[in-house]
Amino acid sequence: MDNDIDMESAVTQLNRSTVPDAWAESVRLVAVKRDRAAFQVLYKHFSPLIRAFLLKSMGSGANRSEAEEITQEVLIKVWNKAATFNPAKASVNTWIFTIARNTRIDFIRRNDRNNREIDIEDIWHDAESPEPLVDMQQRRAEQVIKQAMATLPEEQVQVLYKAFMEGKSHNEVAEELSLPLGTVKSRIRLALNKMQILIDR
Amino acid sequence: MVSFHPDSKFLTDFAAGSLPLSEAVCVAAHLEFCGKCRAHVQQLSDVAAQMMVRLDPVVDDNDGFESLMQRIESSDPAPAGQVSNIAAKAAVSATGIPRVVEKLAGGSLQNLNWVKLGKSLRIAPMDIGCKSRQTAIYDIKAGRPMPEHEHRGEEITVLLKGSFSDADGKYVKGDFVVRYAGERHQPTATLDTDCICLVSLEQPVKASSWWYRLMEPFVQYRLSGFSR
Ligand SMILES: [Zn+2]
Repeated sequence: MDNDIDMESAVTQLNRSTVPDAWAESVRLVAVKRDRAAFQVLYKHFSPLIRAFLLKSMGSGANRSEAEEITQEVLIKVWNKAATFNPAKASVNTWIFTIARNTRIDFIRRNDRNNREIDIEDIWHDAESPEPLVDMQQRRAEQVIKQAMATLPEEQVQVLYKAFMEGKSHNEVAEELSLPLGTVKSRIRLALNKMQILIDR
Repeated sequence: MVSFHPDSKFLTDFAAGSLPLSEAVCVAAHLEFCGKCRAHVQQLSDVAAQMMVRLDPVVDDNDGFESLMQRIESSDPAPAGQVSNIAAKAAVSATGIPRVVEKLAGGSLQNLNWVKLGKSLRIAPMDIGCKSRQTAIYDIKAGRPMPEHEHRGEEITVLLKGSFSDADGKYVKGDFVVRYAGERHQPTATLDTDCICLVSLEQPVKASSWWYRLMEPFVQYRLSGFSR
């Protein structure tokens, strides 16, 4: 296989199918110029979404003021880590989700009064992929995911929502919906397949 | 070539952040060896992000931007342009052991408390503060048969170094192998080379042979609470 040609066609396809990421420029300005106005744009758009996600996913143990505190923590990380954002690899949406997710995991651990100090980012770290072609396929896949999500049947949306937005494991979703674990797993797999996320098992 | 991967349940729960720590460490170790699963986790995070941006926004009545900026400016160590871009990290460190494992071991596997069990096996429990499971590193000398044992709970093994084979195939570095409760390991398994594994165990393994004698100190050790 000729890599150059392959790369070229991937670039063409990428340009055809990828909507520019409107937020990437704001993140860049925050990284390079510590630009307050750009950060405020991100703040305005994302903080109500981060807050909504945390209120759903932090569990019944979390109150509004804790969700607020974690929302602030997420935004501080967005400011501090802006230079590590790689627009070739992920959208700003996904990047901010992963920061919110990790901050939430950390909060839950702290609440458990774990005596072992662990940096959650050591485990849920941003896996670097040094392969640009893979990055491009990734970004293309994101468009497919976006479009396919709108067409999913309700029962699949429900399990995805519980898994990703409420932060419930397969087992917890099965228990809550009184479904066999296998049913939860197959609903999620069906949904993922429609979004072209083809996991072997 | 890695050929045993975590299934969609592991990868989804990992990307959603709901996978218990012991299992998450196993998935993270596998990801350092496997670009395919890394791509899947990234896609699953895209799914989550798309769901997040479709939530009904919860707007705070008083805009906290100014107070947030004050908080940032009072602690911001990095002036403009000086935040260095993190270069692409090599997936695995110089020792060949995944970074996640070395970090949790305090920099090196040598820092762990190793318990020698006979001539060919040593085990180091890893305290990662996960209540539902035991996590440990197994270091097994080459040429020995894998101990035959039966599982009362789920066991995840991630091969960090070396290889072994059994009737199901050959397992190499990076492979993520899950054994379920009641399953019996193939007694014919042999170690092809020295072997280091990361193991996450739901419940103590019920030994069906000399393995029990080997495991006993580990079980004792575990009961004593993994004190370091
Ligand atoms: Zn894999």
